[in-house]
Amino acid sequence: MSYNIYAALELGTTRTVLAVAECETGKKLTVTSLASIPSVGVRKSQITDIEQAKQSIRGVIGEIERKAKKEGGSIDIANAFLVVNGQHVSADQLSSTIAVNNKTVSDEDIENVVANAHQLTPGGGERVGLDIIEQDFCVDQRGGILSPKNIAGHVLKLNVLSISADKNRIEDARTAADAAHLELRDPLFACTCAAEAVLQDHEKKNGVLVLDLGGGSTGYAVYSDGYLVATGAIGVGGDHITNDLAQAFQLSNARAEMLKREHASAVVSSLDEDDRITIDPSTPGMDSRSVPCRAVNIVTNARVKEIIAMIREKLEEQDLINRLHSGIVITGGGAKLKEIDLLLQREIGTTVRIGKPLYIDGLDQEEFPAEFAAIAGALLYAHKNYEERSLFDTLKGIFR
Amino acid sequence: MLMIGVGTSGCRIASRIADDFDGSIRNLLCDTDATTGQLDGDFVLLGGNRLSGRGSGGDIVAARMAVEESIAALDPELEGVRIAVIVTSLGGGTGGGATLEILKRLSQRNIPSIVFATTPFAFEGDDRQRKARSVMGMIEDAASTSFFLPLDRLTVASDNMKQAFDQAVSTLAQGITLFWRLLKTPGYIRLDAERLRHVLSRAGRGRFAAVEASGPDRAARALDALLTNESLSSGTTTIRAILCGVLAGDDLRLTEISTLANGIRKAFGETAQFELATVNDEATFSGRISAVVMLFEFSKVDESATKARKIQSVLSPGAKSRGRFQNSESTLWHGENMDEPTYLRKSISLDL
Repeated sequence: MSYNIYAALELGTTRTVLAVAECETGKKLTVTSLASIPSVGVRKSQITDIEQAKQSIRGVIGEIERKAKKEGGSIDIANAFLVVNGQHVSADQLSSTIAVNNKTVSDEDIENVVANAHQLTPGGGERVGLDIIEQDFCVDQRGGILSPKNIAGHVLKLNVLSISADKNRIEDARTAADAAHLELRDPLFACTCAAEAVLQDHEKKNGVLVLDLGGGSTGYAVYSDGYLVATGAIGVGGDHITNDLAQAFQLSNARAEMLKREHASAVVSSLDEDDRITIDPSTPGMDSRSVPCRAVNIVTNARVKEIIAMIREKLEEQDLINRLHSGIVITGGGAKLKEIDLLLQREIGTTVRIGKPLYIDGLDQEEFPAEFAAIAGALLYAHKNYEERSLFDTLKGIFR
Repeated sequence: MLMIGVGTSGCRIASRIADDFDGSIRNLLCDTDATTGQLDGDFVLLGGNRLSGRGSGGDIVAARMAVEESIAALDPELEGVRIAVIVTSLGGGTGGGATLEILKRLSQRNIPSIVFATTPFAFEGDDRQRKARSVMGMIEDAASTSFFLPLDRLTVASDNMKQAFDQAVSTLAQGITLFWRLLKTPGYIRLDAERLRHVLSRAGRGRFAAVEASGPDRAARALDALLTNESLSSGTTTIRAILCGVLAGDDLRLTEISTLANGIRKAFGETAQFELATVNDEATFSGRISAVVMLFEFSKVDESATKARKIQSVLSPGAKSRGRFQNSESTLWHGENMDEPTYLRKSISLDL
């Protein structure tokens, strides 16, 4: 019997999350420890202050250590996979092409074209590759082939989606993590991680959109015919709703964030009309204030509708909007916004569900598991790709 | 005029109203559930191919798609219609989903539409409330005018759910019937269909209530019942137009009309446009008086006027600010800086 242990770090705009998962051979991966604290030094999914970001990372490591100590053990996390988000993440459609050796495609041809695809580098030296997603094969002019073995032809092509990020943004995260004595392993895209954690195979086959609603950005990933066909992120997220509310009602960011979390709805309804929301004073001794519920929802609705319009345009550019037969799955902290599912349903015209991580245990006790879909997906990625190798040597382990 | 019942509950209400008129009202019943065809009225099965007459199962999207498929079947029924009154119940699938598609068709044919839609009882649970809320805004946008009537406000306390629902439906049906009578059997002060059409073409969201009283001080009692009616509570919004109908037998006195008209204007807006209509129907209303009141907020006023008002009423004056994103890399989209608040860029009124 052996254990594999993995850690993943998400340095988000709103919060910093560190999670540790363990897996006994042949059993389901389980999150054994999770820490989530408000982020500092990060804005719109990019680090704006290395020192503050370091403090955020130290904060979550300390939280994990305290939890272990409370349970009578100890933990020393040496490395973690990095979950990346932000509009600097993009995906390029690339292809790998080879000549078929003996008139029909062999296993060796397939291995070669796949290996060749994984050597493809994203454009320019300023990008760093996050993932290469294999899509479909083409033999000569015939596309849409999922298993090309024994198909006759002269040229074998594999279409891939190359996901990459701005190199400097990743370096900034590494610098902050190094300063916090944490080594960062592979950087992984939050939205595709979330998708891997929450989607079922039939949804990927029928066509589905995953929206990862973060604080500083919103990631999207579209699957069709079983594979990822488009992904990326826009630089607008839940923090923009908070900022809009703060400006509309002249509130501090903390009060506006509370207003958003506790009262705001993505849908404006006649039922809200006469209701007012009382906001406690930020300074003791000052009077509390009240704001009209309808106005709060108007501000929220306008921003969310705009985010949806931006995503919709991205999908329409690639003619994907009519391929979402399994609807939309939403993840991330933004999925907690009241009625966001209804507004999405209204604006895109398809069914919407909240994405709870499916293939990992240990998150059920969290109040809103969809918030941790990306980090769950990163842990699943680590497990899938490093299953054969115990990480005890690098992750020094949990000793109880 | 054509009355259209949409969804199972909407069709039941429409059918009950039609019964009161002994078939003299054009009544069209539209549902995805084939069993609704047993009710009196012309029946159109929506989405028969897709749903096989089994209903939408509470799925609004399925209902919309089903109606899209069979919307052309409504066209012959809409020939010559000047005003359509839709009666529906929100919270399920067909009531919300199909109503939207039918409204779209009416709009394409330039037929003004009035929607009377009930919203679920609170005890029916969050899911049905959420479904209702999800389509209310779209119905408001698509209809000439719309009345949303919470079932909780249409009934008094009752231990029995069936009794409560029946009572609510009965109250609603009674109200719509009175409104219909105003148009079908006008009295000395008339509100004809063209006048109503003109009012409705500018109306938006509305409020609606109907009351009845008898006895020597019946007008004062009817007025009192209207002024205390929760459905007419206007909150802080400004009422732009009032439609008032007074229905009674041959004994209707001028002072009674005056009591009601003056009291309603004083309570809901003396500067609002006021439309009054009476019905003298001795056979139906002998010895009693009924009053129907509709309040309109005119949310669909001229676009340019709205925009001017919107710009004035936003709270944050001065140039658009990026707030906490002031020093961050901007997100641009179609030339707009997305870090600036959307409501400011779009000049959306907050009516603070």
